[in-house]
Amino acid sequence: MPNNPPPLADRLLTWFCAPHLREEVLGDLHERYILRVQQRGEVRARRHYWLDVLAYIRPEFIRRQPQEYPKPTNTTMLRNYLKIAWRNLIREKGYASLNMAGLAVGMAASTLIFLWIQSELTFDRFYSKTDRLFQVYNQDVFGGNPAVWGTTPLPLAPTLKQNYPDVEEAIRYRPTTLLLTADDRKLNVDGAYADPTFLNIFDFALLSGNREKVLAGANGIVITKSLAEKLFGTSDAVGKTLQIDHKDSFSVSGVLDDLPDNTQFNKLSFLLPWTYFVPPGWDSDGWGSNNNYTYVLLKEKVNSIAVNEKIKHVTAEKLKGVIDDVSHRQIFLHPASKWHLYSREENGQLVDGKIVNVRLFGLVAGLILLVAAVNFINLTTARSEKRAKEVGIRKVVGAQKQSLVFQFISESLLLAFLAGLLALLIVVLFIPTFNDLIDKQLSLALGSIGFWLAALAFVLFTGLLAGSYPAFVLANFQPGKVMKGVRHSVNSVFSLRKGLVIAQFSFAIVLIIGTLVIKDQIQYAQSRDNGYDQNNLLFIYMRGDLANHYGSFQQELIQAGAAVSVGKSIGSITNLNSRQWGLSWPGSTKADKDVEFDRFGADKDFLKTTGTKLIAGRDIDVQNYPTDSTAVLLNETAVKTMHLENPIGTTIHFDSHDWHVVGIVKDFIFASPYDPINPVVVHGPAGSLPLSWVSVRLNPANTTAQNLAMAETLAKKYNPGYPFEYIFADESYKAKFADEQRTGSLISLFMGLTIIIACLGLFGLAAYTAQQRTKEIGVRKVLGATVTSIVGLLTKEFIQLIGMAFVIGAPIGWYLMEKWLQDYSYRIGIGGGIFLVTLASAILIVTLTVSFQAIKAALMNPVKSLRSE
Amino acid sequence: MRRSDLGEFEEVVLLAVAALSPGAYSVLIAEELERETGNSVSTGAVHAALQRLEQKGYLRSELGEATAERGGRRKRLFTVTALGGRVLSEVRAVRNRLWDRIIPNIRLEWS
Repeated sequence: MPNNPPPLADRLLTWFCAPHLREEVLGDLHERYILRVQQRGEVRARRHYWLDVLAYIRPEFIRRQPQEYPKPTNTTMLRNYLKIAWRNLIREKGYASLNMAGLAVGMAASTLIFLWIQSELTFDRFYSKTDRLFQVYNQDVFGGNPAVWGTTPLPLAPTLKQNYPDVEEAIRYRPTTLLLTADDRKLNVDGAYADPTFLNIFDFALLSGNREKVLAGANGIVITKSLAEKLFGTSDAVGKTLQIDHKDSFSVSGVLDDLPDNTQFNKLSFLLPWTYFVPPGWDSDGWGSNNNYTYVLLKEKVNSIAVNEKIKHVTAEKLKGVIDDVSHRQIFLHPASKWHLYSREENGQLVDGKIVNVRLFGLVAGLILLVAAVNFINLTTARSEKRAKEVGIRKVVGAQKQSLVFQFISESLLLAFLAGLLALLIVVLFIPTFNDLIDKQLSLALGSIGFWLAALAFVLFTGLLAGSYPAFVLANFQPGKVMKGVRHSVNSVFSLRKGLVIAQFSFAIVLIIGTLVIKDQIQYAQSRDNGYDQNNLLFIYMRGDLANHYGSFQQELIQAGAAVSVGKSIGSITNLNSRQWGLSWPGSTKADKDVEFDRFGADKDFLKTTGTKLIAGRDIDVQNYPTDSTAVLLNETAVKTMHLENPIGTTIHFDSHDWHVVGIVKDFIFASPYDPINPVVVHGPAGSLPLSWVSVRLNPANTTAQNLAMAETLAKKYNPGYPFEYIFADESYKAKFADEQRTGSLISLFMGLTIIIACLGLFGLAAYTAQQRTKEIGVRKVLGATVTSIVGLLTKEFIQLIGMAFVIGAPIGWYLMEKWLQDYSYRIGIGGGIFLVTLASAILIVTLTVSFQAIKAALMNPVKSLRSE
Repeated sequence: MRRSDLGEFEEVVLLAVAALSPGAYSVLIAEELERETGNSVSTGAVHAALQRLEQKGYLRSELGEATAERGGRRKRLFTVTALGGRVLSEVRAVRNRLWDRIIPNIRLEWS
């Protein structure tokens, strides 16, 4: 027998030739090869063999034989699974909709939270150079107390840029509010002065104008699109002129697209060149005043820690001799990625901050989703017997466990998908309300592929989370047992379900406690006596000519009957404007210089205007007592802090003046209603801080609208160039509770949702248990059980579960809320009342949910329920 | 009968099957054609033609016995169907008629 033909050629042929032709083709080739070897020798035969093999490369030999019978593919089974799933959904509409509603609400709630988290996480992190961007912070120690603050001296930015080659760019930034006029339109607008490279570092979308040049000129202003529309009626505003404070004309050099919501500059409406900035009288351009923000862009691949080391003593060097002790004064770079989330000042360091909320709400979102998934698990496993026969048949016919798992998971995914659609609808409907609640502008990016991919991934995740366990339970049924009709005893499966219900309600109870504590705390702080009368109290900031005509304005306000009392002050009493250290008084020690006083200033009628109570002495009155420009009122706390026995007439020194005490005021809340009351000095007009605010006690005899109309006429008369703008004390006071109220509303919203979801599940579970025990109830009724006893029987079990959930949830809730309350010094204690209310409301909710099913079951006619056997 | 669906090579292969019947299969046909024409003929080309002819209904096939040279593989044996036979004779008739019309003198000139 000669050698075999080339094996490689054979292998090639085997690869490309259709299987059904392989036998005859290979046979032909081999037979002919042997013939050739005999005729012409092996070498030529081998060469020829290759040619022969290649001759078979034709479509008719390569094309595979069409299959006679269709091979069942994965999609065929999948279609069957989905069909069965759909039929089950339709047949069990009630359970399916309970299941879906729970999942949908859970998904919608967590989607909203995820949107919020996403917006928080991208806050100030979307600039193209974010990773090289820093804000300069100051650190020092005052009287043993470390402090950290974000404003810096004016010359810092130019110095950093000049002297440190690692610094690519350093800019000064200073927010301001100015009156802008164009034609007859006047607006008080928030904006800022900034160095020319501001827009290179913070690369916001510029609709028109050249990024490099818009702020480089001496009188070019950059405005946002919406400001352009307000001022000029068009966003195409480049080249148009506007006046600032009726003095200087600027021409619009660029128009910014409206700034996104998730930047610290989101209130900014215009940018002015830094060259236009003139420090106000109380400020200076020296190293001692910290009133500007400094942003630094480092060069690429520069280590910020090393730069930090190099620059940390820059301000201290310059301040030697200017302030007493510079040994603790430092500056440091705070990276842009941490500006929003990691900027809480504590002990002179920047620590966590808002990231705590992000984590907390992330956890809440996860738990709500979990509660919804638990519902699904409970309802599905409880009702698994309905599917047991199907599983048995499938197994007998030859289904693998694996394919059954796959079937039930695809069923859950179908349900999750439908729930996802519902959730999307809910989110779209409720996003405006949610935005109002959290004071943000969240939106769904319905146009982006990324959003839909994320949504799909979320649906898959939820489906798997909810569907995996039930799928394994169902797929584990033994066909022999289920076909014979051996029932799972209710209790064996119930234990896990019990655990899950307990977990759900523990979470709900934590949320109930949270809601109650926050509500109580807000109410407690709101009802705290603030020491002044916030109704009918108005504050006006004096712009333009108003300060020059103040005397007439004040007199005419009272003459016209719009106000009962008017006074000048350094600010509004609802907001703390200024603090003062370094006071000295008879008997004060060196350590007393570090005592921090809240500082307020007024010219006359302070008590009458604000409604604060006098305890001793008299009010400041510069009109009747000329020396009262250096008069001072103290509050009770100040008297106590200063240990003054006879405070009236005492001389106090601060702000390069000697002040004499003329009266004592009852304590009032100046700053946060949650903080303890600080010592306060209210001084006459001689201080360095200008009295640029007017406090007006409106005439209670008129309506507010009448008073405002009169005041506006007068303001227009004496200050025609400016719009009449004012602040109400009660609104400004209310704003102090906004943060807590927001947290409170959010927590109560999530509590409501969690309870709704958990109750949906409980409702389904109760219905199922009642149905399981139909016969038992029938027998009991026949034997004389009352409706009440049967309702009790069915409800008892669930009440026990709630009791256990309370035992777990209450301590957790107590611990968390104690931690939350620690941030407030004026706060409530968590009393037993809160826990009682929590337990009672939880039991009430559960009883209401369960008893509907229980009563329905108990009222059933035993004849009907027992007849079927 | 459409003549156009019988190519020249197919015609030769069909003839060869008829000539070698019974027991015509691709190796035998390829060898025979090589011998007759002097050109090398690959089994692939023959096999492809056989498949086409079978599809057209001029041939039918069955699997034959396995031999040692074939490594124990069976061969596919082809036989001409009645339709195939009719087509062949028709082709032949056309050719004959044309041959007959060639003037004998000219035929003499060629040879």
